[in-house]
Amino acid sequence: MRRGLLIGIICCLAVGLIFSGCGKKEEPKIKIGFNIPLTGDIPKVGEGSKFAAEMFKADINSAGGLKVGDKSYQLEFIYEDNESKAQSATAAALKLITQDDVLAIIGPQSSKQAVPSGEICNANKTPMISPWSTNPNTTKDRPYVFRGCFLDPFQGPVAANFATEEFGAKKAAVLFDVASDYPKGLAEFFKGAFEKIHGSGSVAAFETFTTKDRDFSAQLTNIIKSDADILFTPQYYDEVPLIVKQARELGWTKPILGSDSWGSAELMNLCGDDCKGSFFSTHYAAAGAKGATKEFIDRYKEKYGYVPDDVGALTWDSIRLLVQAIQNTGGLTGDLQKDRDAIKDQLAQIKDFAGITGNMTFTPDGDPVKCAVIVKISQAGDFEFYKSVCPQ
Amino acid sequence: MQDTIEQTHPPHVTFWRKVKTLFVKIPLLGWIVGAIVAVLVERLVGSGFASGLGLTKEPALFGLLIILKTPSLIPGALLYVLLIYMLPTVAVAWATALFANRIAALLLKKHILIAVLVHLGLLYVVLHFWADISGYRAHTLKLALIAIMVTLSLNIINGYMGEFSCSHPGFMALGAYTSSVFTLSLFTDHRFFGSAVLPEALGPFLFPIGLILGGLVAALGALIVAIPSFRTRGDYLAIISLAFMFIVKSMIENMEFVGGPRGLSGQPRWADLTTIFIWTVISIWIINNFVRSTLGKALNAVRDEEMAANSMTVNTRRTKITAFLFAAFWAGVAGGLLAHVLQYVNPSTFGIQKLAEVLAMVYFGGLNSVYGSIVGAVSITVLGEALRPLEIFKWIIIPLILILVMIFRPPGLIAFKEFDVRRILQPRNTPKKEVKDDAA
Repeated sequence: MRRGLLIGIICCLAVGLIFSGCGKKEEPKIKIGFNIPLTGDIPKVGEGSKFAAEMFKADINSAGGLKVGDKSYQLEFIYEDNESKAQSATAAALKLITQDDVLAIIGPQSSKQAVPSGEICNANKTPMISPWSTNPNTTKDRPYVFRGCFLDPFQGPVAANFATEEFGAKKAAVLFDVASDYPKGLAEFFKGAFEKIHGSGSVAAFETFTTKDRDFSAQLTNIIKSDADILFTPQYYDEVPLIVKQARELGWTKPILGSDSWGSAELMNLCGDDCKGSFFSTHYAAAGAKGATKEFIDRYKEKYGYVPDDVGALTWDSIRLLVQAIQNTGGLTGDLQKDRDAIKDQLAQIKDFAGITGNMTFTPDGDPVKCAVIVKISQAGDFEFYKSVCPQ
Repeated sequence: MQDTIEQTHPPHVTFWRKVKTLFVKIPLLGWIVGAIVAVLVERLVGSGFASGLGLTKEPALFGLLIILKTPSLIPGALLYVLLIYMLPTVAVAWATALFANRIAALLLKKHILIAVLVHLGLLYVVLHFWADISGYRAHTLKLALIAIMVTLSLNIINGYMGEFSCSHPGFMALGAYTSSVFTLSLFTDHRFFGSAVLPEALGPFLFPIGLILGGLVAALGALIVAIPSFRTRGDYLAIISLAFMFIVKSMIENMEFVGGPRGLSGQPRWADLTTIFIWTVISIWIINNFVRSTLGKALNAVRDEEMAANSMTVNTRRTKITAFLFAAFWAGVAGGLLAHVLQYVNPSTFGIQKLAEVLAMVYFGGLNSVYGSIVGAVSITVLGEALRPLEIFKWIIIPLILILVMIFRPPGLIAFKEFDVRRILQPRNTPKKEVKDDAA
């Protein structure tokens, strides 16, 4: 009986082997890795990225594949979960590079994973595009690492200028999470830019809290007392509703300004009427979008049931950038390292790329020069395009 | 089902017993030699063999990833593991058993240190060749070795001392930041710490000093926890140490010169496999000696009954503080190594998630046991990597395994087992009876 079992197993293995042999079709493929947070703190971000990628892949593959030089390739996307942790993000990047032999990597999205993964990708000479990471360190001194969004040192002044021009603000208040790198960095850039315009001391209140805090009344009382004209709070969509609601309850009637981290479909579900009439700077405006942007939003909404967040749009643009660079190489050699180098060179040369989040040109650092959008939350709760601010 | 088969078919029982007796006589040396042959076979024919089986590449973690991600390749992955790893290992180990036993006996007769060094050297050869196939394997192996250090050091407190300490991520953070600041400020041009003071070529040699410094700072942190809390036990210590972990985390978040929440990056690439392997071996050796010494036995006495230990002339306060600082030291060293493997540290790495991970390794592997710590650390690290394709289900399966272990083996898989190096290395060809006769 035991022997029978053994023979059975061997037969199964043999049959399976034959089938797996059959499954291997000689079809040229382009492998692209995705290092995204499918579980952990921000699974919605990973989901948005994956959905956008799936949509893109379906488009290309159903149209007969991607034409590079004179050959057509099918796209193969490998999604690796980085659990929103730095340690897992490095392991995922190494797996994609050395085990799956991908040509390039999209992601990670958050800076705390993008900074260490960027080091890994650069050391292993594999191009990486982070669609969402705004920390300057991600791409600094790393020729193989690029990003799909603008940086905090650009977004901070955009918000400061907007506050000055739009509301005539002379004094500003800032409320941010001191334990989270993105809000902290942006708050500091905003403060620097605002004080440059209005002189030191013009940021009347620079209040902080720590991640997972839910009560902001002490800080908000200080802010109201400071007689500031505007409140800038570069927080994530789960904290913004609490801050805005508590501020309104304490009697803050002046405008509230946010940053690109506000731009989630969840924001209006949590915030309700209180957020209406606020402004934030971001990568693109979903409501009132035109052309390719509108087409992307409509198709995404039809397929997955909700309006894509900015991270979905940025991922879409990053994939398109990468595909553009692959096509610009004029043909793949099949030698992995040569192709990776060629893609890197082509990415660095991309100029005036028309993305759905705006036109992009890469600087030598691997950062795009692109415009920011100021969005107004309308009375209907939509994120309406208000103004576009471009770097000089 | 299994039982009924074996009861109704006694020949198979004897068959398996025969198989078992075949392998019982192979010493550790034999297994290691077998493994060397296996990894060499993989190096020579691995990629060709893999593509012949329909796999794109040599499976990274013994085929586990492939099995979970593309079920159609299961037979190929299994065959690969069977033919490349298991067959050569078993065949060579079995064939050389006689020879290996003789050499093992010879080595042990010379000096135990020589025997240990020879075994470790050969083990390193295995790991080196195995990890050389892909960067991902090397990375996973490095993380597993570091996890062994952390788990073992936490086992001193939670296993040998019987307390429940939650401050280990805090100690790791202290070690990671101290050693990072050491290497970044001395050997690299960094935007926070200015230009390099010493030539970079000296770095790898002075790197251990940075690690030890990290360990010492972590021990200093442990002293801060220990002083107010050595009168408390159980839940109270758990709460104080948990508070300490949060204090360290928010302290670093507010320290601008180490980057605050943005973290520190750009650590030099000095934590290679050799360095980590040597440090892990040193930590296992020293910790094993520590827990088998008088002090270690005193620690066990304190765990079992503090009052009784005190009346039996054990200085309980000193014992507890020594063990606490000692454990924190190794956590600090491990943190320093981790920072240089990832080449990045940020405070949020050392939060409650890390604590849960380390505690899981300790309790999964087994309390009061060096074996257990190694098994727990390696299996949780490898499981964590291998189950990643399952995404959200990974976070159901790993806790489920832990629950099952807690139900069926409450102290952990291999708990309360002494790690006796001489017994591990000894030749296996002398049946026990003969030894007894000799003694008589």
